[in-house]
Amino acid sequence: MHQFQGRHIIDTADLTTEEVMFLIETADRIEAMGPAARDLCKGKILATLFWEPSTRTRLSFEAAMYRLGGNVIGFSEAMSSSVSKGETLADTIQTVALYSDIIAMRHPGEGSALAASMSSRVPIINGGDGAHLHPTQTLGDCYTLIMEKGRLKGLKVGFLGDLLFGRTVHTLVRLLARFGVELHFFAPEGLNIPDYVRDSLVKAGATFTEQTELDARLPELDVLYVTRIQKERFFSEEEYLRKKNSYSITRETLEKAKDDILILHPLPRNEEIAMEVDPTPNAGYFRQAEYGLKMRMALISLCLGVLS
Amino acid sequence: MRIERIHNGIVLDHIKAGVGIKILGLFPTDMLKSKIDYASYIESPRLGMKDIIKIENLDVDPKTLTKLALISPSITISIIRNGQVKEKIKPELPPVVEGVITCNNPKCITLKEKYLTSKFKVWLEDSKVRQQCLYCEHIAKSS
Repeated sequence: MHQFQGRHIIDTADLTTEEVMFLIETADRIEAMGPAARDLCKGKILATLFWEPSTRTRLSFEAAMYRLGGNVIGFSEAMSSSVSKGETLADTIQTVALYSDIIAMRHPGEGSALAASMSSRVPIINGGDGAHLHPTQTLGDCYTLIMEKGRLKGLKVGFLGDLLFGRTVHTLVRLLARFGVELHFFAPEGLNIPDYVRDSLVKAGATFTEQTELDARLPELDVLYVTRIQKERFFSEEEYLRKKNSYSITRETLEKAKDDILILHPLPRNEEIAMEVDPTPNAGYFRQAEYGLKMRMALISLCLGVLS
Repeated sequence: MRIERIHNGIVLDHIKAGVGIKILGLFPTDMLKSKIDYASYIESPRLGMKDIIKIENLDVDPKTLTKLALISPSITISIIRNGQVKEKIKPELPPVVEGVITCNNPKCITLKEKYLTSKFKVWLEDSKVRQQCLYCEHIAKSS
């Protein structure tokens, strides 16, 4: 029996591997319910508090709640909230918790979701805290891997792009390591995984390699997870332009890989995956976004206690 | 260099060589109006080289003891009363320190939301103190 009702989802490190599998089963269960899922959250309110611009994650949370029959309130940038008037995070959360049953939040402060959970009487779901964690993306990605590859243990997963600022990677690799996934990092110089992530992988006894070039290892990969070089994470435009085109996946790249390599991307993408890849069966990134939506439906339902 | 005995006060010994000046910075200047002896890079059988500080008419509180251990885990503190060593303290590194360290990750939420008390997991690795912010997980190395 897994207890999710009233629980905050801050970091996947707080979840056991059994709980992660239970979340995946629940996402599947909701899918199988079909139209019956539309009444699960009737009368419930989700607050989406986004201090940072985000289209995809916020819309995914909101769509998840609407598909469960609930309602949504919230803001999508700091300027439209009381924060612009100097309100503390604790005050915002305590107040919004009075208006809602569950809160999904994104905030540029690293550790902000944990801080918010300390002031909230309703469940907080971390929708990204700076370059730190993004657990709902991670859980959706795990769901994607299970559905597309049928297993996690023994998979060889490559990560390409900005691995320093890409929060999706930081959370995902630590969870995949717990499931026995082999990890291979391909990052331009200066955009490697941060020390704290590397340290936790070493401590967990994970199998991983780090390199700048993709070519040598590409033929052995089962999955390639590509990330955007994020403009907003750079201190100067010049540095951004210098690094953004370092890596790009094309049909030519796929020819050097396994026939069934799965290409994933947390989206939005820029030029790191050419659009010519989209029609190939290897392009899993839009299906990945759909699995993410189902996972958010599972999280909302379980944390509200409408499913158990 | 001659370090004189003190009658009342504290002796901070076995300080990692060169960090004594950082330790003096822990004490507010108005607490340091008494006589201070400070010797740096003196020979030590245990550490090779060490710093030593003697301060007249000063006490240390538990929070300062934690800070001392974070700066130099090898430090020992002798409390001197009437020319005698009343107590010798070897401060332990606690597993978690609260409200003592400021996170040096500029994006950490504890820097933006001042009401939050900083919390760090602390451990020794290769004789160096490592501290990890429990909010943003940023790891800082010191001494």
